[in-house]
Amino acid sequence: MNKSILFLAAAIFAASAPAADKLVIKGSDTLGAKLVPMLAEEYKAANPGTTFEIAAEGSTTGIAAVTDSTAQIGMSSRRAKPTEISAATAKGVSMKPTIVAYDGIGVIVNQGNPLTTLTKRQVEQIFAGDIKDWSQVGGSAGPISIYTRNTSSGTYSDFKDLAMKKRDYASSSQKMAGNEQIASEVAKNANGIGYVGLAYLSDPGLKTLSIEGSMPNEASVLAGKYPYSRPTFYYTNGEATGVAAKFIDFTLSDAGQKVVRKVGFVPVRPLN
Amino acid sequence: MVCACFGLMTGADLQHSQHRTDIMLNLKSKLLAITAALLCAGAAFAQDSGALIDLLVKKGVLNNQEAEDLRVELTKDFVANTSAGKLNLSSSIVDFKLSGDMRMRYEYNNQAPEIAAGGFLLKNETSRQRFRFRFNGDVTLQKGWTTGFALESGQASDSANQTFTSAADDYGVFLARAYVGWQPNRNLAFVLGKQKNIMYTTDLRWDADINPQGLSEIYKYFLGPKDTLEVRAMQHFMDDRTEANNAGPARRDTFMFENQAVYTHWFAPDNLSSLIVAVGFNKYNQSTIPTAPLGTASFAGSVRAQDYLTFAGEVNWANLNGAGTAFKLYWDSSYNTTANTRAYRVYNLNRSLFSADGKAWLAGIGYSYGTGKVQGDYSAKLDYRSVGIAATDPNINDSDWGFSKDNQKGFELSLVYNVTDFTTFGIKYFDTKIIQPGMTFSLGNLNHSQELLVDLVVKF
Repeated sequence: MNKSILFLAAAIFAASAPAADKLVIKGSDTLGAKLVPMLAEEYKAANPGTTFEIAAEGSTTGIAAVTDSTAQIGMSSRRAKPTEISAATAKGVSMKPTIVAYDGIGVIVNQGNPLTTLTKRQVEQIFAGDIKDWSQVGGSAGPISIYTRNTSSGTYSDFKDLAMKKRDYASSSQKMAGNEQIASEVAKNANGIGYVGLAYLSDPGLKTLSIEGSMPNEASVLAGKYPYSRPTFYYTNGEATGVAAKFIDFTLSDAGQKVVRKVGFVPVRPLN
Repeated sequence: MVCACFGLMTGADLQHSQHRTDIMLNLKSKLLAITAALLCAGAAFAQDSGALIDLLVKKGVLNNQEAEDLRVELTKDFVANTSAGKLNLSSSIVDFKLSGDMRMRYEYNNQAPEIAAGGFLLKNETSRQRFRFRFNGDVTLQKGWTTGFALESGQASDSANQTFTSAADDYGVFLARAYVGWQPNRNLAFVLGKQKNIMYTTDLRWDADINPQGLSEIYKYFLGPKDTLEVRAMQHFMDDRTEANNAGPARRDTFMFENQAVYTHWFAPDNLSSLIVAVGFNKYNQSTIPTAPLGTASFAGSVRAQDYLTFAGEVNWANLNGAGTAFKLYWDSSYNTTANTRAYRVYNLNRSLFSADGKAWLAGIGYSYGTGKVQGDYSAKLDYRSVGIAATDPNINDSDWGFSKDNQKGFELSLVYNVTDFTTFGIKYFDTKIIQPGMTFSLGNLNHSQELLVDLVVKF
């Protein structure tokens, strides 16, 4: 009898163990496109019993998923809005943000452009179309060609928030599918200007401009000196527990933060 | 949590995890202290503390993660413990302004109608207690868009006044403004719907209570630091006609097209004094208005032959008699270039008895202390005006002065005193007399009139 009970208990434990190690992560496509899948692969290598379900459909869906308890972790490239925190509280969910990486956006011009720096006001005016010629900001005369991400990109709106006081892009701006396309076009066009993630700043043919004297790099982003950077988050219901806590710890560990750097984000602290 | 991870993590990772636990303990004590400090400053302060948190991060008091935790705690507290936090407004709203006023009025008036030659003047006195309630909601949205509404007590667009009648009565509230606006840049602005009047004018031509409806445009030129020129236009939608049931002009919707150029120049050493000059022209399409649109004197029928040239303006001398004082000269005028047609073919006046007077003018002086927004501010205005029988549009002119009748001349005196910053006490009196005696046509048959208005207004 006792043996039967033990066997039954063991069978139940065995059946339920894999389910306990399933981690559902939803939210930001900025985080969910590359970073979190790569972190998940690294984590699974050390924890073969863990399975992941990752859905990258935007920060809003991530925060909503934590509120609705349909995900253990919500990825977000922005802070939760007061209304989202309020909605979560009403359902007994206590939103807890954890910064997992920083995202920096560098402003690039063609390597042949004599400019080395711009002010925040000049960047806003260039991308909004108020300034149309390089001579207006101290460069060689020539019409400015603006390259931006396309409207479905989170970076498209993030740059508007960070750099343009939420104004609209100039109607003449050209919308590109990704960082690679912007870097490629600016490298070919002597009058081009665009913005890319930190990982693309060293592409050939490009020059990165300092903004108000600050260059985009890990040190300036971490010090809060570079203006076009933002934290990215995991949201959980209170302090994470179980496999979610383990995955967050892994993300914040040196191993996880090296993945963060590899994908083109800035780690949350200086790494060796 | 740390123990559970032990078997899965490297030594460095374990060290990091332990470090994280230490941070959490440290963080809690810091957060407790800072949160308590912020909350002691008032719950409403919590929503504005973003800049303070950023500064604490910059100074090294908080790290970024602690700052994020603090933001969430403050937001939760704001949402849970303040009335404002429970409002769920659209994120597209930049500013949502609620405002309004309540006016209590004592009114005495006397209208003496003009009687055919040989008759005698009648007195027609009225004394009544009235009120007006207005409630405005004006919303500024992102990307230069605006929208809004106004609720008012009273259906007639030229007056939201309601007379206190039977104690058993309640009073209605009506939608007096409903609009959408768009300002793509600082020069250009459009508004569509029932809206505040964009024209520079006085109550000689436009009743201040009327919110016109249609599409308006303003283009503003900045001519220099002291000069602007605005081109204003509005396509007024005056009446909706039933096309199927009518013929000729009567089947056309009624529009009025109004255009104006307004030049402003600031002068004197402090640039507080100003000169404003406005010239304009307005005209109707070929249509009709089938029923008298307003509660006071108005005209039902053809809108043709109303082609008005207008000229208005003012000169303000600021601080002329000490700081805060202002002296003002102001004027307005209207000339109907088709007055003959209006008088003899639309109003059917007898050509041998009456002239087709198409001229209206007003000239006034004003003196004020303060801006009318602070306790103790006051202002006084006195103007004289003359309004020919075919000189203004009877459907939009002031419903008070001369009871909206044309063919009148007389004066208006207005005194306003700020009892508090938000409460004013005002007296207005006017006296009018007929210009062309003997007229029995309904828009010009007032022999003389007086009106006294005593107002207490509370604004919010």
